[in-house]
Amino acid sequence: MAARSGGSSFVPSLPPPCPKFPPEYPDLYGKRRETAKIQMLQREISFLEEELKSVESIQHASRCCKEVTDFVMANSDPLIPTSQKNQKTRRFWKWLCGMPCLNLSWICCYSGCSCNLKCPWCCDYNLCGRNLCNCSSCICSLCNCRSCNCSFSDCNLCNCNCSSCICSLCNCRSCNCSSSDCNLCNCSSCICSLCNCRSYNCSLSDCSSCKCSSSDCSSCKCSSCDCSSCKCYSCNCNSCLSFCTIPKWQCCSFPKSHCCRKISCSRNRCIFPFASCTDCCCCTWKCPCRQCPEVCLCCSCRKTCCNPCCLLF
Amino acid sequence: MSVAELKEKHAAATEKVNNLREQLRQRRQQLLDTDVAEYASSQGRSPVTFGPTDLVCCRTLQGHTGKVYSLDWTPERNRIVSASQDGRLIVWNALTSQKTHAIKLPCAWVMTCAFSPTGQSVSCGGLDSMCSIFNLNSPTDKDGNLPVSKTLSGHKGYVSCCQYVPDEDIHIITSSGDQTCVLWDITTGLRTSVFGGEFQSGHTADVLCVSINGSNSRMFVSGSCDATARLWDTRVASRAVRTFHGHEGDVNTVKFFPDGNRFGTGSDDGTCRLFDIRTGHQLQRYYQQHGDNDVPHVTSIAFSISGRLLFAGYLNGDCYVWDTLLARVVLNLRSLQNSHVNRISCLGLSADGSALCTGSWDTNLKIWAFGGYRRVT
Repeated sequence: MAARSGGSSFVPSLPPPCPKFPPEYPDLYGKRRETAKIQMLQREISFLEEELKSVESIQHASRCCKEVTDFVMANSDPLIPTSQKNQKTRRFWKWLCGMPCLNLSWICCYSGCSCNLKCPWCCDYNLCGRNLCNCSSCICSLCNCRSCNCSFSDCNLCNCNCSSCICSLCNCRSCNCSSSDCNLCNCSSCICSLCNCRSYNCSLSDCSSCKCSSSDCSSCKCSSCDCSSCKCYSCNCNSCLSFCTIPKWQCCSFPKSHCCRKISCSRNRCIFPFASCTDCCCCTWKCPCRQCPEVCLCCSCRKTCCNPCCLLF
Repeated sequence: MSVAELKEKHAAATEKVNNLREQLRQRRQQLLDTDVAEYASSQGRSPVTFGPTDLVCCRTLQGHTGKVYSLDWTPERNRIVSASQDGRLIVWNALTSQKTHAIKLPCAWVMTCAFSPTGQSVSCGGLDSMCSIFNLNSPTDKDGNLPVSKTLSGHKGYVSCCQYVPDEDIHIITSSGDQTCVLWDITTGLRTSVFGGEFQSGHTADVLCVSINGSNSRMFVSGSCDATARLWDTRVASRAVRTFHGHEGDVNTVKFFPDGNRFGTGSDDGTCRLFDIRTGHQLQRYYQQHGDNDVPHVTSIAFSISGRLLFAGYLNGDCYVWDTLLARVVLNLRSLQNSHVNRISCLGLSADGSALCTGSWDTNLKIWAFGGYRRVT
C-alpha cells in the first residue's frame, strides 16, 4: 500500500449503497387459516375412520325395512280409506246410528263404525245454530259450534255492526269494519278504504282501478292484482332460483353478480351487479334506496328501509 | 411450516377424506340388500287407494294477503299459526276457520313460524336473523299489536326454520343461513348450544330446516344446502351424530317418521328419501317423473300418523301423496276439487293425524281430511 506524504491517508473504497429488502413478515392470517382447515379435515378423517369401523357391525337394510313395515301396519290412520268389507259393515251401522229413534252411538263407536271419527271435520260449523250440531253422518255431541259475540245468536243471519262487537272474534257475514286491519275482521264485504281486506273490486287486472290507496301493490295488497303492472314483488322466475340470493327460494330480481369471479364464491355472497365488488368476502353494494345512501356489506344490512332493496321476496 | 407446505397438507387431507367417504359409501352399499318398497312388495302389501272423495278439502282459511310460507299446528285444540309474505302471523281455529290473532311482525320478512307445546306462544324467524316470541295471552299495545315477548338474537344469517322442543315452552331450536342450528333458552334469551359453524364439524352451507324427534327430544335432524341431512344430539354440539349423504341438491325439508327411528327428507333433486337414524341407511327413495323432463324441487313434506302416507309439496304446484311402503304416488292433491291454485309451500299434520293443513303461495291455507262416505247436508 502506497503511503501518501503530506498527511493524506488511504481509505478503502466501499461497495456501492444497496438498499436492503424489507423484512419478511410472517403471513400469520393465511397460515393460521390453513392450519385450522387442516385440523378440521383431520377431525373429519377421524370421524370417518370411526364410522367405517362402526359400519362393520350394523344390520342390513332389510331389517330396518321390516321395522318400518311392521310399524306402519300396526298403526291405524284416520286419513286412509278402510277396506271394502269394512265399508259395507260401517254403512250399515251408520244407517242404524242415524235413525232418529235410536241412540246407538255407543254401539257404533264400539263396533268401529264411522261415528267414532272425529266430529269436527265432518261438521260444517257455519250451519250450526246450536251448540250441539247434528251432522247427517255422525252425531256430533262433542261439536263446539262457533259462538257469536254479536247481539244475534245465529251469525248466519247476523247483521251486527262490528263496531259494537270485538272484531277479532266477530264472524258476521256483513260488517262495517271499524278496525283498520281487516286481518282481524272476518267480514266478507268490508269497506277497504284503509284496510287490507280482499275487496271484490280487485278482480280487475289493473290495480289502479282497484280500491286500494295506491297503485303500487306493495301497499295495495289486492289478492288478484296483476302484479306485473302493479310493480308488486311477485316473481315466478324459475331462472332466478339458480341464482337466487338469501334465502335461495326467495324471489330474486338481481342477476348473479358478474363481479364475483372466484370459483369458491358461494351464491350467497356476491349477488349484486356492482363493479366495486372485487372479493367475495368483501362484497359491498350501494343501496339504491334514497334513505340508505351508505355502502355496506350486503349480508349485514339491517336497516329497515333497505329491506325492499337488498332482500327481495 | 410455510403456507405452501400447509396447502399441500390440506390437499392431501382432502384427498384422504374423499377416499374414506368413498370407502364408506361402498361399504354401506353392500348393506343395502333391499329397500322398503321391495320388502313390502315381497310381503304382499297392496297399495293404498283413494276414491275421488276420500280426501277432501273441508276448510279454506282466508285472510293472508301474501304468500303463505310456513304453518304449524298446536299439539292440541286444533289451532294453526301461519306466516306470510304480508308480514303477519295469523292464529286460526282450524275447526271454525276463524282467526283468533293477527300479529303484525316488526320485520315483515318472515320465513318460519311455530306453536309452543302449550299453545300459549308462537315464534317466528326470517331475514332479520332473529327468532321472535309472542305470548298470545299478552295485552296488545296502543296500536292493537301483540308485542314481542322475547327476541332471540345471535344468528349471523337468516332464520330458516324454528321448532319448539316438545313438552316444554322453554327451549326452541332454530336453523339458519349462517350454517348453524342453535338451541335457545327462551327464558334467558341466550344460546344454550350452537351446532356446527366455523371450525366445527357441521353443515357447510345454509341450513334450511330442522325436525325434532317426537320420541326422543334430545335428537333432531337438520337439512342443508350442502345436500346432506345431519342428526344431532343436543348434549353434543361439537359434531353431528351422523351425516346422511345421497341427495344431489339442497335438502329443503326434513321430518321425523312417526316411530322416531327414521326421518324423511325432500330436496331440490326432486326426490324424497327415508333414512334410518341408527344405521344411517337410506331405506327408500321417492321419485316420479313429473313430465316435461323437469325436476321440480320438493318444498315440504309431512308423514301421516301411521307413517303410511308421505305428503310432499313440489315447486310446480303438485302435492303428491306417496304410499311410503310401496313408493307409489296414490294421489295428487292438486287434482282434487277446491285445491290450491299456486304452489304449496308448507304442510303440516294435526296432532291426532286426522287432518292435513297446506299453505300456499295463493295466500290460502286449506285443511284436508278424510271425506270417505260421509256427507254433510
